[in-house]
Amino acid sequence: MIDVQKVSKTYGKIKALSRVSFKIKDGEFVCLVGPSGAGKTTLIRLLIAEEKPTFGRIVVSDRDIHLLPRREIPYYRRKIGIVFQDYKLLLKKNIYENTAYALEVSGARSDLIKKRVPKILEMVGLSKRAQNYPDELSGGEKQRAALARALVHSPKILIADEPTGNLDPKTSWGIIDLLLRINDHGTTVILATHNKDIVNMLRKRVLGIKNGELVIDRLRGEYTI
Amino acid sequence: MTSLLRVIKFGFLNFFRNPWLSLATTLIFSLTLFIISSFFFLNLVADRSVKVIEDKMDISVTFKDEASLEDIYNLKDQLGQLSAVKSVKYISKEEASEIWQDLPFSQRVKELVTPEKNPLPRGLQIKAEDPDSLDEIGEFVLMKKWQPIIRENGVSYQKNKTILQKLNNITKFVRKIGFLLAGIFLGISILVIFNTLRLNIISRKDEIEIQRLVGATNSFISGPFLVEGILYGFLATIISTLLIYFLIRFTTPMIAQYLGDVSLNLHQYFIYHLDLIFILQFAIGIFIGSICSLISVKKYLKV
Repeated sequence: MIDVQKVSKTYGKIKALSRVSFKIKDGEFVCLVGPSGAGKTTLIRLLIAEEKPTFGRIVVSDRDIHLLPRREIPYYRRKIGIVFQDYKLLLKKNIYENTAYALEVSGARSDLIKKRVPKILEMVGLSKRAQNYPDELSGGEKQRAALARALVHSPKILIADEPTGNLDPKTSWGIIDLLLRINDHGTTVILATHNKDIVNMLRKRVLGIKNGELVIDRLRGEYTI
Repeated sequence: MTSLLRVIKFGFLNFFRNPWLSLATTLIFSLTLFIISSFFFLNLVADRSVKVIEDKMDISVTFKDEASLEDIYNLKDQLGQLSAVKSVKYISKEEASEIWQDLPFSQRVKELVTPEKNPLPRGLQIKAEDPDSLDEIGEFVLMKKWQPIIRENGVSYQKNKTILQKLNNITKFVRKIGFLLAGIFLGISILVIFNTLRLNIISRKDEIEIQRLVGATNSFISGPFLVEGILYGFLATIISTLLIYFLIRFTTPMIAQYLGDVSLNLHQYFIYHLDLIFILQFAIGIFIGSICSLISVKKYLKV
């Protein structure tokens, strides 16, 4: 469970988030919506412990993640999978290596990696691209590779920050389809997006942020900001 | 254990996937080691030169056969009290004969001196503290009161004096400047290496960010850079050792000419101490490589 309690974040004089509170249950699918600069990315950076909130607490699985000692943060990050709009793939590694890296980091055994990586690549439909480098892939393929990396270590929570931002509608739905299937397997999915069509058609819970404040929290919401 | 092997593997992958950057870094590293080692050898040559000069810094005085042993010892004692004198040794006729026999003469010449027929004069061998003292000693033994016992042209120092003084000045200069230059070059090289590694790491800033985001620990991220640094050190050591080898091979004959028959054989010295030279360079290489890598990468590891 994720429990965000009265979280504020300021950068100098700029207020990025202001007293934001919400809870996300295990296995939920949540759309985080709002215009550019509303504070979605700030919220995500706080959720993955990239930054600390100025005020408030974020509790994940009964632990305040901003009270974690620095050396435990990598271990916290291994429990979540993260996907970004710009994919953030390692350009010097091929798709297989990119996916395996998330497991290698956690000290997983080599035979487990050899079993797990092909499976996950098959799931995202990239088996034939395993030996290609990110530069040789289309946008949709890169995003699926990023998803494979985010999922390979079976995280409890998947955070996707504008995963369809650079993709055409058909490719975007391919990614959304994958997110839904992952959610079906019990992974909590947080999808940050400003794509109205997707949010409206999904009819999932919607958290709306505007000017750093939480303005919408509806169970079967639509994009109404 | 798995993690350690992976860190090593990634270090090697980093090295081979940026071949040009790796080549450039290795060459800069090699130059640094080469400069350090060259100054070491230069210093060795200078050091040996000083020894050679010091050995030549003696004055020999030979005595007329009719001079009494008492007068000779009187001169010896007074010389011993001079601060310019390092040591004075009396050479008897018998000792002179022994020295004669050890000289690289043909048997025919050697036979000219026998215990029965020994024309060699008795003498004093005076070692000076430094070349500047030669004058003082020279003037002392050339004083009128000693002339009755000293043979004509029996004071040997005049011939070598100027050459020795020049040589000594040059050697002193080389050593002083050598140390200074070595220090400056070492400083510059470390800065260049540091900068190269830093650029290398800055070019992988995004990579480090991604590694952090998928939950890599700091040591898992910096480990490969460390391995890379050690690899640079190792390859640079090989290159630098080869460069030094060729440098020495070509300069040994010249140095031999300069220092004369007492010269040191740098070539032999190099072969004999090859393992030590290699290990020392490798240690310096690893030290510089790993310290610079760690400092550079640390900036990007803040969580």
